[in-house]
Amino acid sequence: MTPVDRDEAIRALRSRRPRNRFARWTGIVLLALTAFAWTRPELELGKLFRQRTKANVTRFLGEVRPYPLQEQPWDGGVFGGWLETTLGDGVGRRAVLGTLALSVAAICLAGLIALLTCLFATRNVAHPEPFLPGASPPTRWRTYAWRVVVWATRLVYIFARAIPEWIWAFLLLTLLGLGAWPAVIALAIHNTGILGRLYAEVIENLPARTPRALRALGASRTQIATVALYPAAQGRFLLYFFYRWETCVREATVLGLLGAAGLGKEILQAGAGDRHDEIVLFVLLGSALIIAGDVVSAVARSVVRRAR
Amino acid sequence: MRHVGRRGLVILAIAGAGVWAAWYLGLGPAELWPNKNRLGNFVEFFSAAFSPAVESQGGSGQNIALQALRGTWLTVLFALAGMSLALVVGVVLGFFASSAWWTGDPASRSWRRLRRVIGPLIFGTARLVIALLRSVHEIIWATLFLAAFGLSNANAVFALALPYGGTLAKIFSEMIDEAPRSAGHALRGAGAGGAQVFFLGLLPGALPDMASYAFYRFECALRASAVLGFFGVETLGHFIKQSFKVHYYGEVWTYLYALFALVIVADLWSGALRHRTVAA
Repeated sequence: MTPVDRDEAIRALRSRRPRNRFARWTGIVLLALTAFAWTRPELELGKLFRQRTKANVTRFLGEVRPYPLQEQPWDGGVFGGWLETTLGDGVGRRAVLGTLALSVAAICLAGLIALLTCLFATRNVAHPEPFLPGASPPTRWRTYAWRVVVWATRLVYIFARAIPEWIWAFLLLTLLGLGAWPAVIALAIHNTGILGRLYAEVIENLPARTPRALRALGASRTQIATVALYPAAQGRFLLYFFYRWETCVREATVLGLLGAAGLGKEILQAGAGDRHDEIVLFVLLGSALIIAGDVVSAVARSVVRRAR
Repeated sequence: MRHVGRRGLVILAIAGAGVWAAWYLGLGPAELWPNKNRLGNFVEFFSAAFSPAVESQGGSGQNIALQALRGTWLTVLFALAGMSLALVVGVVLGFFASSAWWTGDPASRSWRRLRRVIGPLIFGTARLVIALLRSVHEIIWATLFLAAFGLSNANAVFALALPYGGTLAKIFSEMIDEAPRSAGHALRGAGAGGAQVFFLGLLPGALPDMASYAFYRFECALRASAVLGFFGVETLGHFIKQSFKVHYYGEVWTYLYALFALVIVADLWSGALRHRTVAA
């Protein structure tokens, strides 16, 4: 191949490369918007370069050091004592376990509701003639009625997940009063929206052979679901469940900032007293909890994957 | 226990954990039982869903629809700024946290020796930084930055950028590692160097997935940006908080619907994008 031939061949290959106008325009629009965003005064980037900010940062970094050790040489014993007074008396344990319990209760509630409602969002089960269309032509209003069921369920799911956990919690804390329920329900609402959609997709994508055979034998929707659909979808359901639990742990660490239980509440209280050393300690505890949750979830997911 | 099976055990463990959590938090039906106060609040709030406010309920004559538009724009603005910074963090850290750049066929012996030492070191550090960035919630970053930098909207940008950058880095590194290696091997066989193999052989294979994932994270960033409105910036969360505190529930619903619309548009857009790039 001469160099000219090669260039020609490369040019020919290049002109035949897969191109996607939609993706390209998305990129161009987002790039332009981002460039514009960085020029906006609303970002207040200038404030970061003021003299006051620099002094503030220095002061903050000094206050992050445990209080009895501030402007003192490092001493392991003093540090241990500080840990003891800050986390002792069950404060640290309650904060961590409270956060963990919040995430577990919320994801169990969300998983349960998603499990019970996801079938209403599937086009194959929520249909006048599930899995065997054409066996007997359904009346028009029955077709429409089922379609309304599917879209209504999906709309509820979308709305539930479009509103962030934090905002649900903020609203529910006022409407329901203090306690753990509002935080649990807030986390559960958002995650029901996500799990419900994912679960419905899993059910829709299952191979149709078994449910079709069952339907031909005259099985009801409930029977098909319990015998064929849920068992076949179980593994995928569990994987999604654990993925969402990881994010639940993450969100649970902050919901306490609204007044619910857990690490967030400790951070709120330490913040109210400007005790930055304690804030950082509780933030690190939360970080450890999240990382531990990720590990537990990864182990559980690999168990689920390997079990057939 | 064979008849229960491993998955059965996992489900049992979940149920047990759920019962423990409910017991630990004291989740009883009594606290949820609709008393007069709770029911009244609920009915008042949710019935306002059918009459979102267009004009200020406080009688100031302020146009709430316009305010919602402004809040939506600022939500997009901070999500874009945070996400663009997160992408830089994600690409740089993701590169160092992928094993592709320091494993594989070495080019020369001295480089191989050097790489055997610094490779795992840089790799491990990158992984540690990613774990730290990811495991602190953006709201907590925001409160930390507020304490460190003082009041500035820029805090929200950095609060978004750090955890999102960490998450992007983690997923990017996994995608690079899982990208098909055949093109890279072919390039290596033709005498290409490490950087050439990485940028021409490995990266193009992983790029569509990376772009698609980044767009999905942008959707999440929109929601997070709205929430950061509770901490100073004037995104949708800011207005939701203000209107809710004075019980102007109609206004709250206007802002909630604005957020809903924004998320749906992003969701549809990202769905269309995935459909046309990854599936093709």
